[in-house]
Amino acid sequence: MKEFIKRLRSPSAKYSLLSLLFVGFVGGIVFWGGFNTAMEATNTLEFCISCHEMRDTVYEEYKQTIHYSNRTGVRAVCSDCHVPKDWAHKMARKVKASGEIWGKLAGTIDTPEKFEAKRLELATHEWDRMKKSDSRECRNCHSFDGMDTEKQKNRASKMHKIAQSDNKTCIDCHKGIAHKKPKNMPEEPDDE
Amino acid sequence: MYKIEISKFLMVILLAVGSASAIAAPDWSKVPKREIHVFHPGVTPIEWVMKKSDHSGRTGLTKGESCVGCHEEKGGLNFDMKRLAGKEIEPKAAPATVSFPVGVQAAYDKEYLYIRMTFTPPAGGADHSDKDNDVKAAVMFANDKIALDAGGKIVAGAQLGCWASCHGDARTMPGADDKKTKYAKSGTYELMQWKSGKGSKPVDGVVSDKRNMEGGMAGVKAQSEIKGGMYTVTFVRKLNGALADGKAVPVGFAIHADKATGRFHHVSLGYMLGLGADGDIKAAKLQ
Repeated sequence: MKEFIKRLRSPSAKYSLLSLLFVGFVGGIVFWGGFNTAMEATNTLEFCISCHEMRDTVYEEYKQTIHYSNRTGVRAVCSDCHVPKDWAHKMARKVKASGEIWGKLAGTIDTPEKFEAKRLELATHEWDRMKKSDSRECRNCHSFDGMDTEKQKNRASKMHKIAQSDNKTCIDCHKGIAHKKPKNMPEEPDDE
Repeated sequence: MYKIEISKFLMVILLAVGSASAIAAPDWSKVPKREIHVFHPGVTPIEWVMKKSDHSGRTGLTKGESCVGCHEEKGGLNFDMKRLAGKEIEPKAAPATVSFPVGVQAAYDKEYLYIRMTFTPPAGGADHSDKDNDVKAAVMFANDKIALDAGGKIVAGAQLGCWASCHGDARTMPGADDKKTKYAKSGTYELMQWKSGKGSKPVDGVVSDKRNMEGGMAGVKAQSEIKGGMYTVTFVRKLNGALADGKAVPVGFAIHADKATGRFHHVSLGYMLGLGADGDIKAAKLQ
């Protein structure tokens, strides 16, 4: 082993620097491309619903909502809302999401009953994440700048004006827009 | 004896004239009609309205917005009618018609307020518990003291309509005490109701710490006419209590269609009735 490490550390006498750089460059592209492709594969709708825990519950609920089917045909899939777009936040989210593998192995939500029992806890984690990021993933598509409140219905128009003046974030009001709201949600103070 | 008979006769004449003038309807063709929509609210008592996770509009209410301000559009209400028709809001079953229009006209003179409601009550109700009345129509007025304390922020009766009297622990709500009626934590509603049942008297009641279907001071009278399925109900009541010339008064309307009871009514949001004052519904002043 020591010999192997020593060989790795010693300069090459056989290959030119250019060859080494080229191989490193190409290898980097292949590695990076492969890594990114694999990571993007985990961002697809198909990947998310490859487990019955998501497919039978939140996916079925999402299919009834405007983020799945709407007049214009623009669809937001799971990762559009639940995975950050920028690399650093995306990596952090993916690392954290790897904990879900343990949940899968342990079967923490592998029946509808278990899922319902944990729905509030799981939803609260996601709402907290969205609140902390100022609803960053919502704002990839929606923004107050691009919003014409005069074209909205009264309730949306008035609430969005209040939200802007009070520096509210999307998730403050828009809980349960793509999935069923948990039962017995706690009271929320007005300033949240 | 003869004198007594004459005085009796005069009294009868006077009473007849008095009651005739009390229910002498205005010329309704000259009174503007405001079309409102009533809807089946399901289980959405004030506790639901004021819980932010159920109703994000709580924020609007605590900032002074009214139910009508957010939920009424030109030509109707902007509720998610599919949601109202589903079992999320109404665990038993919603009526086939979730919302329908009601024409409201109002007029007043020095002594009386006249309210006329024109509507076609839909069939296909989900509850038919009222064996005596096919249809009932009600109007409630809130006095100045109707209000809610929402964590230190006061939400006024003018914003809430009838909702300050609608509670999750009142009769016909799921799991509620069957003897507990509508109530208000502060202030009083004046309630008048017309019932279609034979021999039914109009209700002149109040809602304060509980609902009393009699004992009101408004001297409520009601007339009705049914033509081709369309009901026209006319109320006459004294211009007293919460009502006065120059004032805008919170008002709400409710219709129990198809023998419905309790929460299975169709209700309006809360409107302001202007009596010589600005309002969503302006009462015409009679000379």
